[in-house]
Amino acid sequence: MANENSKNRKAILVTPELCIGCRACQVACKSWNQLPGIKTKNNGSYQNPPDLASAAYNIIRYNEVPSQENPVRWLFVSRRCMHCDDAGCIKICPSGALYKTAEGAVAFDRDKCIGCKLCVNACPFDVPRYDADGKITKCHLCFDRIGAGMSPACVKTCPTGALKFGDREELIGTAKNEGFATIYGDQDLGGLGSVYAFKEEPKLYGMIENPAIPSSVNFWHTYLKPLSVIGLGGVVAAAAIHYLAIGPHKDNEEEV
Amino acid sequence: MAEMVRKESGGAILNHWMLAISCILLIITGFAFLFHLDSVGAVFGGYETMKTVHNWVGVVFGVSLLFTMFQYLGDSLKYDADDAEWFKVAGGYLSHKVKVPPMGKHNPGQKLYYLGIAVFGVAIALSGLGIWLMKDNATIMLLSHLVHNVAFIFFCIMVPVHIYLSTLANPGTLQIMTTGMVPLELAKKRYPKWMKAIGKM
Repeated sequence: MANENSKNRKAILVTPELCIGCRACQVACKSWNQLPGIKTKNNGSYQNPPDLASAAYNIIRYNEVPSQENPVRWLFVSRRCMHCDDAGCIKICPSGALYKTAEGAVAFDRDKCIGCKLCVNACPFDVPRYDADGKITKCHLCFDRIGAGMSPACVKTCPTGALKFGDREELIGTAKNEGFATIYGDQDLGGLGSVYAFKEEPKLYGMIENPAIPSSVNFWHTYLKPLSVIGLGGVVAAAAIHYLAIGPHKDNEEEV
Repeated sequence: MAEMVRKESGGAILNHWMLAISCILLIITGFAFLFHLDSVGAVFGGYETMKTVHNWVGVVFGVSLLFTMFQYLGDSLKYDADDAEWFKVAGGYLSHKVKVPPMGKHNPGQKLYYLGIAVFGVAIALSGLGIWLMKDNATIMLLSHLVHNVAFIFFCIMVPVHIYLSTLANPGTLQIMTTGMVPLELAKKRYPKWMKAIGKM
């Protein structure tokens, strides 16, 4: 499902092996989006906060994986909205609060959100969060910055190049040339806007395999939505034809 | 003035219009959510208020639906040999030349229509509550969303059929839901078995 704007489509390329886990991206995101700090507790991991939250659009996941050489092997993976081309949240949103920008960012209009939480359940990656007012929040790829030719706050601050921002095709092409085993998000859900360059299996990095929109949501979108209009229009047309062709009931005709 | 018989009580008529108005309001706002009809949203002052209206009108619909069960559910579950014959001539709806068997108070088309409304009405009301109140349970939420939309299609198709059959297609029917009265002569033709049962024929 190639995006019409695939030529202009922007993306963030995440390269976990370049990440040093400094969390500057988390801080820069809070700074740009004016998000408050979150009181957390020690969960036995450096990962903090433990997951995305209404005040944490991105986090670094500190995956601890088995290793022969070291007592601890960390794989730092930046987690945020994946900016799907075929986005379940946009599909299911009943108020048009979620939308896609020209650059391919899945952004939201807070004022339009009605707090129904359907997007939460349609997202394959468990990304959307709700704030204290019951409105959606999530990473929007700094659509306000990228629309003005700047890079997202997290990418701008990243000191190692673990986060790169640019033309999606270019980023993927470069990563492939550099010999990464897997480009996660190259094809999934029409192509993700957050792509990952992995040296090993995505599972090792804590990524879900074959992400998909819930089948009931796709079924509803593809068949039920059009059927409601076709059904309504169909019976109105059928009634008009019946009226003209057969006409109204006459109580006296039955006697014959 | 011709002698009249009462087919619907005042309470039943009031409840019918409560159900009808809430149902149509729910269909309109439902379409607005389905296709992001901003102009419809604007009528309610935005989608957020429209959601509140949709939810609470849904409650009115559900309560009203509950009342109809006392009125129609019993009758809608009883079918006899004439009802089977009725289907063979398609109730006389597709041709005026066929002989329609004698009917009771409601014909089997009406009875099945009511059963459909009852079943899909309960489904759409319960699934609506699921979407409204069970937001944090993904399984219930997605199942409710699916059921709500399947039932919605039933209403999109059956409500216009009901409106057409009770107005243009069968002149003289609408007054059953306004005054509740039917002229005796007409009632004898349309509902002979019912008239016999209440000793008018």
